[in-house]
Amino acid sequence: MAGATALAARRPHYGGTLRIEIHEAFERPEAMAPPAGFVLASWEAGRRAVYTADENAAGGRPYLDSVEIQMGRPLRDQSTDLELGKTDVVELGPSELRRQIAGRKVWSSSPVRLMALVFGPRVEDTRVREALALAVDRGAIHSVLLQRQGEISGALLPQWLSGDAFLFAPAFDVTRARSLVAALGAPARTISLAVSDASLRPIADRIALNARDAGLVVPVTAQTGNADLRLMEVRMASSDPARALAETAAELGLAEPARSDTPEALYNAERALLDGFRVIPLFHLPRVFGAGPRVKGGPGITPLGEWHFENLWVEDRP
Amino acid sequence: MTFRTRLLLIFTVAVAAAVGVVELVVSSRARQAFEDMEAKRAEALVTQFNREFARRGMEVMRTVESIAASAAARDIAISPDASSYVDQAAALGSTHGLDLLELVAGDGTIVSSAEWPARFGYKEDWLTGEPDWKGRGAFLKREELPDGVALALVAVGMASVGDRKLYVAGGRLLDREFLSTLVMPAGMRVLLYRNLAPQFSASELIGASGPAPGAARLESLIEQAAHQRHEVAATVGRGAEAETFHALPLGGYESGVLGVLLIGSSRRDLVELEASMLRTAITVAAAGILMGIALSWWATARITRPVRQLAESAGRVAAGDWGATVEVASTDEMGQLAGAFNRMTHELVGQRERLVQAERVAAWRELARRLAHELKNPLFPLQITVENMQRARESYPEQFDEVFREGTATLLAELSNLKQIIARFSDFARMPAPEMEPVNLNEVAAETMKLFEGQLAKARVRASTELDAALRPVEADREQVTRVLRNLVLNAIDAMPEGGTLTVRTVALEAGARLEVSDTGQGLTPEECERLFTPYYTTKTHGTGLGLAIVQSVVSDHKGRIAVESEKGKGTTFRIDLG
Repeated sequence: MAGATALAARRPHYGGTLRIEIHEAFERPEAMAPPAGFVLASWEAGRRAVYTADENAAGGRPYLDSVEIQMGRPLRDQSTDLELGKTDVVELGPSELRRQIAGRKVWSSSPVRLMALVFGPRVEDTRVREALALAVDRGAIHSVLLQRQGEISGALLPQWLSGDAFLFAPAFDVTRARSLVAALGAPARTISLAVSDASLRPIADRIALNARDAGLVVPVTAQTGNADLRLMEVRMASSDPARALAETAAELGLAEPARSDTPEALYNAERALLDGFRVIPLFHLPRVFGAGPRVKGGPGITPLGEWHFENLWVEDRP
Repeated sequence: MTFRTRLLLIFTVAVAAAVGVVELVVSSRARQAFEDMEAKRAEALVTQFNREFARRGMEVMRTVESIAASAAARDIAISPDASSYVDQAAALGSTHGLDLLELVAGDGTIVSSAEWPARFGYKEDWLTGEPDWKGRGAFLKREELPDGVALALVAVGMASVGDRKLYVAGGRLLDREFLSTLVMPAGMRVLLYRNLAPQFSASELIGASGPAPGAARLESLIEQAAHQRHEVAATVGRGAEAETFHALPLGGYESGVLGVLLIGSSRRDLVELEASMLRTAITVAAAGILMGIALSWWATARITRPVRQLAESAGRVAAGDWGATVEVASTDEMGQLAGAFNRMTHELVGQRERLVQAERVAAWRELARRLAHELKNPLFPLQITVENMQRARESYPEQFDEVFREGTATLLAELSNLKQIIARFSDFARMPAPEMEPVNLNEVAAETMKLFEGQLAKARVRASTELDAALRPVEADREQVTRVLRNLVLNAIDAMPEGGTLTVRTVALEAGARLEVSDTGQGLTPEECERLFTPYYTTKTHGTGLGLAIVQSVVSDHKGRIAVESEKGKGTTFRIDLG
């Protein structure tokens, strides 16, 4: 009898609402990729979105009746909500990953997020950009702040996507960075770093500290409007390297890369984009989600980090 | 300046000086008392600061040691991967109320930093190099923070598990909140200069309520304390805004002075007290001066009234009122003086009356003697002539006519002589009042000398005239002045029986004119000079002795002065000044 009850609990069943929290706040529905098998039922810009199961979905109707997405929730609050059972799925940052929470499942994608520093047009001197690229201690950030998530990279495309990211190995040379900065005038040594996502603030602070060692003054600000430099994350939305490179370049404000049908052409195109240090790639990071104990089935994301809720269901009983 | 005014001034100055001296003494004592009190308060505050500093140090030390002894610290110490503890310092620091907390691995690598989270992985070599922080308890240390440099009270603890170590360096900032915990007496404040930059920086001077204004004026004091490394004191500012600051250098873990504590005591109270005392002194002085003036007015009136009466009476005596007296209103020295004055004038009046009486008697005797002498001379020929005529009538009737004729001629001549004598006495007795008119003395002198030309030549006297051309006419009776000059010329001729030089000189004076008559005769003794103008006194064998008396009388009627200079054997000069 007990065995039958356990089996029933593991068996998918229809119904229920999956509650999700994300830190981004989208203004338009098109900006947010909808979960497959669901259709938009309600939209409150920047706050809340509700998707209901598509009865005519190609793969069949999802088990869940609906998905309710709460937007603009800080990562730390999301983890707290997950612990309190207020939500079912949350994003996990490095800090949240360090916390051991009973019953929490972790869904991790391939490294599909590029974290990079992007210079604005005002920083014209290449020496400044190169000095900062040489000054950033990616290893310390990766091991401590990112808790070794993802991989250190000097490339725009991750290794698993392009296969040649190892050829863009980043350099860490504070001495050379100092010599480059020493040749600069005092005004050029100060560059403002904007980081709009509060969860990235510790990384930005560390970059500023590294820059200070090189002789640069890098005040960190949350205002992105007039900054010389931005710490950004770009998500790879395509598994096609050429397309991913083009989309990434567009998101980073770089010129459109040359058409690249061969690996060599792709490498050259990526190399061309990185020449001049307009963009300093730092890491390739996975999308990581935490799911509460109510969530059954899964994983709920694809290797590309897309939501995949068709086979999930929720179990209200403990 | 009158005696009364002088007394008034003396009283006033004495009152003002007394008040001034009292004010100075009281002000000086008050200042000294204030300085002593201020020094004691500053000393108490320094003691309080040291006690608070030590208490905070102990508190920090205990907190750090408790963290180092905690299970969390031991977990971090033994953890093979400390990267997951990067946020631990902030949490521990917040829990234990520390502003600063760093967890540092045994090799000196920062595991976690509360004050600068991004510094993980950096080295803190001062902890592992020569750990002389052991046994020092809490100490001041210069701490670098993301937004600048700060001064902190720091202690170090160590968690040791086997061969694994974890340094726990924690502390509290020495900032305005720290200063605000110090209880300050009224009128005092405490400032802290964080000596963290190579050059003086005004922004590093803070008080309990934030950045301290006017930091620049304390720059020299701060630098002096930091340089000399011992307490120094100075007063800055002026007037009520002045403050006395005691600057205490605060040494730290690194060599050098990391901070300077400034305990300021406002001098406003002292300045206001001094101003109040000054106002009071001025009020008291003004009242004292007014009262002094009133009192001295009254007192000096009492003192000087008898003196003034004495002076007035003396003036009246000098003016000829020899009967002047003063009222004797008291028995003190002034009363005795007034009595003596009255006795003196009474005596003077008596003596003068006796003198006048004596002189009158003497004058009458002299007049009788002169009259007898003058009258005896013509009477004797008259008697002889009459007796000759009687004898001729009785014995020589044939010669009687001739004797009669000669006798009557003689009688008439002597009677004429008698009439002249009587006329001269009559003239002296009836000296007329002068009729003033502008008279040129040069003309009078020239005319007189011309008149006496023959007589002078006969007496072998050489005449010399020295007339001042600048001489202006003087108001005088021309006839009487002429008579004076003639008398003096006649006297001079009589004084030179053997001949000599007669000099008549005129000199223009600032107000008036001088007339001098000099001879080169035998001269006069001083005694003779004194009696020269006495009526009926003469040094000659003939004459009435009225000539110079008349001269003096005329000069006196003209409000002039006459003087005589003479030296025996060399001659005599009469000098007359007319206004």
